[in-house]
Amino acid sequence: MTRNAKARLLLSVLILAALVAGACYREALAQSSPLAAMRQPAPAGLFGWLLSKQALFYRELSGLIRAAKSDGTALWGLLGVSFAYGIFHAAGPGHGKAVISSYLVANEETWRRGVTLSFASALLQAITAVLIVAVAAVLIGATAKAMGDTVRVIENLSYALIVLVGARLFWVKGRAFMRTLRALNSKSLPAEPEHAHDHATHAHDGRAACCHHDHAHRDHEPNQSAAADMHEHHHESGHHGHDHDDEESVLPWGHAHGPEPEELAGPGGWRRGLSAIVAVGLRPCSGAIIVLVFSLAQGLFWAGVASTFVMAIGTAITVAAIATLAVGARAVAKRFAATRVSYGTLVLRGIEVGAAVLVMAFGVLLLTGTMASERMGMF
Amino acid sequence: MIRRIVFLIAAFLWLLASMPHAQAHPHVWVTMTSELLYAPDGSLTGVRHAWTFDDMFSAFATQGLEQKTKGQFTREELQPLAKVNVDSLQEYAYFTYVNVDGKRQKDALLDPIDYYLEYDPNETVLTLHFTLPLKAPVKAKTLEVEVYDPEFFIDFGFAEKNQVKLVNAPAQCSMSVAKPRDDFFSAAVRLDKSTAWEANAGMGANFANRVTVTCP
Repeated sequence: MTRNAKARLLLSVLILAALVAGACYREALAQSSPLAAMRQPAPAGLFGWLLSKQALFYRELSGLIRAAKSDGTALWGLLGVSFAYGIFHAAGPGHGKAVISSYLVANEETWRRGVTLSFASALLQAITAVLIVAVAAVLIGATAKAMGDTVRVIENLSYALIVLVGARLFWVKGRAFMRTLRALNSKSLPAEPEHAHDHATHAHDGRAACCHHDHAHRDHEPNQSAAADMHEHHHESGHHGHDHDDEESVLPWGHAHGPEPEELAGPGGWRRGLSAIVAVGLRPCSGAIIVLVFSLAQGLFWAGVASTFVMAIGTAITVAAIATLAVGARAVAKRFAATRVSYGTLVLRGIEVGAAVLVMAFGVLLLTGTMASERMGMF
Repeated sequence: MIRRIVFLIAAFLWLLASMPHAQAHPHVWVTMTSELLYAPDGSLTGVRHAWTFDDMFSAFATQGLEQKTKGQFTREELQPLAKVNVDSLQEYAYFTYVNVDGKRQKDALLDPIDYYLEYDPNETVLTLHFTLPLKAPVKAKTLEVEVYDPEFFIDFGFAEKNQVKLVNAPAQCSMSVAKPRDDFFSAAVRLDKSTAWEANAGMGANFANRVTVTCP
């Protein structure tokens, strides 16, 4: 292993450790009841600054919505502040950063797909918020309590979906992990020397891909040759269109070069991430709901709608940045794995299983209310 | 390659720095005044709060409520909402904590009495009034009342004027009020002249608003 490879391994381990530690820390924090909650460390540094900024922006929204009533130019200010608020705001809980990032890691997704997922789920969140307020407040004239109850139902639905998405990932990834393990056990010889060079990456990836396709896998022994893997890989790309509704087909491209454009653009490309988009995006941001109702009360509902969508774009940028980071960490781990064909693949599959477990865990924690999300419920 | 590694290190540090604090997320701002109620024997019997919500949340909370006059809400019209409010607040222990000689008292408070909402049509804000009786009146050398939301969904801050009053407290008792630090905010940022929200817009539970009463 080269020095670079070691450094990259170390980094990826550190990043994953940070993700896990962060999740555990939040969980631990959230578990202490308000009564038991003692002093938390003072938030400081970049993040404290981010949060103080988002608080400021949020407070400015109300003034700008009021101003927009009489002064059309205030609308630009409103949109600008909404955008900035979205960017800073998404740093807080909710908005599916953790879920999307884990999903991407588990599914060996590209950064482009990560960005797409982030934007799609953020826009869906905005749409849900607008729909809830439009139907509940504008049409029915429902009270805040009724709206809060509606949001809670949708929230729980969204969390349950996250559990399902995680469970499915776990099933798929767990099987892949077991197969890799079995393949390793049945193979007494270590990887052939030529696996060390670049070409081996293809072979290895091809194998990784094949493991998720029963039809492909069945007629091959685990210790198939590199050439067979290559064949398998291309064979799969050809068949990709047939099974795109299957979560397992998320993995077919194993290329270090990233996915073929048509794989992203195709109808299957959309459907692959749809479950995650819906699971995360179903749940509206409570800030957006409050802004929408406030603008409604000011007689400027459309300004609130515009603000909500611009906010969503800002939110998506932050979530996408974090998702890209997760994808980057995954790619680094993968490149390391490529240098150690047999053992490395197992580690990679292990990371995927771990990420799938995280998605499930996030869903369960959110569902049981253990993990803090945004609270709609005070009133 | 080096650039990539540097980027990843920076990203990692950022993640590490941000994760633990991802809780903080205020959506509701409360400007409050409080009264500490004393019995003739010099013991604290209860806390009376008046919490004024920010205008956006006030608009949200009053959405869909029936009103005789547009833009106005009477106390009676708001009473059902007041009930919902205090009922929901129970889950959060009313965000009010009592420390006796530095020790946090568990379950120190009874359910609120004398609660009602007021609507200010000029500022378009709601104020929730309620009194929290102590389960057992407390007499202590040092008594602290803290108000904060550990999850920081609600950002509490004392009003600038008449923030805390001692009612019928023994004459020798003295009071001090600690407001959260305002590390992140400059005094120049002042959106609402009538509140001290910006002083409180720092975050975290250690930004508790604390009233300390010392009776030698």
